[in-house]
Amino acid sequence: MASAPLALAPAIAQTPKPALRIAAISDKPGPCGPPRASLPPGAQAYYRLLAQRLETQILTCSFPDRAAAAQALAAGQVDLAILNAAAYRPVAAATRSILTVRSRPQLGRVAAVVAVRKGDRRLNLAALKGASVVFGGTNRAYLDHPLRTLADQGASADYFGRQIMADSAEDAAAKLRAGEADAMVLHAGAWRRICIGLKASEWRCDDLAVAWRGRPRAQLAMVVRNDMPLETRYRLIGIHVAMHQEAPTAFDWAAAWTPEPAEFEPTEADALILTSSRGPE
Amino acid sequence: MKEVRLAITGSEDDPALTRRLSAYRAYLSEATGLPVKLYEAADNNGKIQSIASGQVDVTLLAGAAYANVDAQVGEAVAPILTVRQADGEVGYYSLFLARSDSSIHKLADLKGKTMGYVDFNSTSGYLYPRSKMREQGIDPDTFFGKVAIAGGHTQAIMALESGQFDATVIQAGGGDPQTGFTTGAHFTMARRGLLDVDDFRTVWAIGPIPNTAVVTRTDRPQAFIDIMRGAMAALPYDEPAIWLGTGQPDGASFISVTRQEYQEVIDLREEELVRRRAGPPPAKGAS
Repeated sequence: MASAPLALAPAIAQTPKPALRIAAISDKPGPCGPPRASLPPGAQAYYRLLAQRLETQILTCSFPDRAAAAQALAAGQVDLAILNAAAYRPVAAATRSILTVRSRPQLGRVAAVVAVRKGDRRLNLAALKGASVVFGGTNRAYLDHPLRTLADQGASADYFGRQIMADSAEDAAAKLRAGEADAMVLHAGAWRRICIGLKASEWRCDDLAVAWRGRPRAQLAMVVRNDMPLETRYRLIGIHVAMHQEAPTAFDWAAAWTPEPAEFEPTEADALILTSSRGPE
Repeated sequence: MKEVRLAITGSEDDPALTRRLSAYRAYLSEATGLPVKLYEAADNNGKIQSIASGQVDVTLLAGAAYANVDAQVGEAVAPILTVRQADGEVGYYSLFLARSDSSIHKLADLKGKTMGYVDFNSTSGYLYPRSKMREQGIDPDTFFGKVAIAGGHTQAIMALESGQFDATVIQAGGGDPQTGFTTGAHFTMARRGLLDVDDFRTVWAIGPIPNTAVVTRTDRPQAFIDIMRGAMAALPYDEPAIWLGTGQPDGASFISVTRQEYQEVIDLREEELVRRRAGPPPAKGAS
């Protein structure tokens, strides 16, 4: 899809736009065409919403599986596909994730931070296998979510040695500093809260080092080609993140690839395969 | 549209904010394909009037300020995004602060004292605390000996520090009363070396209050609204350094929001206005 980069400018807005071609997985693969009238009401509502808001025609293109859809996406035969990591990996150089769906019980894809004492050379998850870890609490933000994030990287609950549940992030940091644990696991918000100082340029964690930081991997994500115009990409994100409020029937169908869907949320480019995430420090 | 006009404040307690926002402006400009102009408003009211009148396309408003705009122009302005913190919370808090060398330890100790509010249009610094005081059986119009309006969070803290006020009430975020807070004017000022947070005591923390919203004019092209919402929502994922540079907490993200999430604040503001129009309560002993 090659829509104009300045679609907000009136003259360019009048330029006819190419259709948005969406990959669908079906046991009856077929060429791209307008959404069938026999589709369920949710699907019709979704495609109608996209057509209206993107001011273009929507075509659906059926493929037998996600791998085939990914290949067609990379080859420029479709513009958008829902992929998993296995389908995405071979086309990662030409495509990127833009959206996933947050499941209602989950917090979203908040980054987890694994910190060690400064000077400790175990500055990656592999080196911390069997190490004792302290968590900042036992609720979903301080325990469930970081555990899920680490499990995505192959560090399941039994990956580490002794696991200590502290009363708070501050307590966890104290235990790490006291040598009661080799590493501390927090969500990114708690890490920053305990480290950012109250004096100019003060950072209270100079004695600690981040061994790993990363978001949970997306299990499935909406993927587009890297050459999709920014305007179209952001428009798609803007339409989808509000869909559960603006068009719930369309959302219920479009987000059904995740159990208990709560909302679409944006992703970084490599959300399906990421091994770590950029952070501020 | 030939350009995107974005109203901002915040430079009062952090002069570097405008400079740091240059990366944000460049990001939004690339997303929209349009020049992005930042209009620096002196206070909440500047942002309120600029978005209500259509002089700007987008701004960030706390709940009471949005309620003010909603009362003026209704659906012509709508909230589109708000911040969800790492722990899933979507609210912030009001802190009643006193100087730590004072004898004020609890709300009751403020009876007859000088109270400094932030601004009539401030959610955390006026509207919400007054409502919560009423819920505690305290009439904010008669409880204090004297009441003043500081004009901003920074000014409120400076007046508290200098002894003009015995107490003030300001916004705090990036945590909760159990974990402590990391964002808010007095934290920003402390990090600039302008004050020591230990000089102040939190007398009462109330909340959560629905987080500040990104609001936009709804008479702009739908494509513009969708692009802005999408680009802003993608920011913490694609450009985490710019996200933090805008003052947002680490681990937080933007989520879609509607007028419905601010209905409570809209109702509180209306209630406050009704009380104000009714005039001051009768003096003690009056028949």
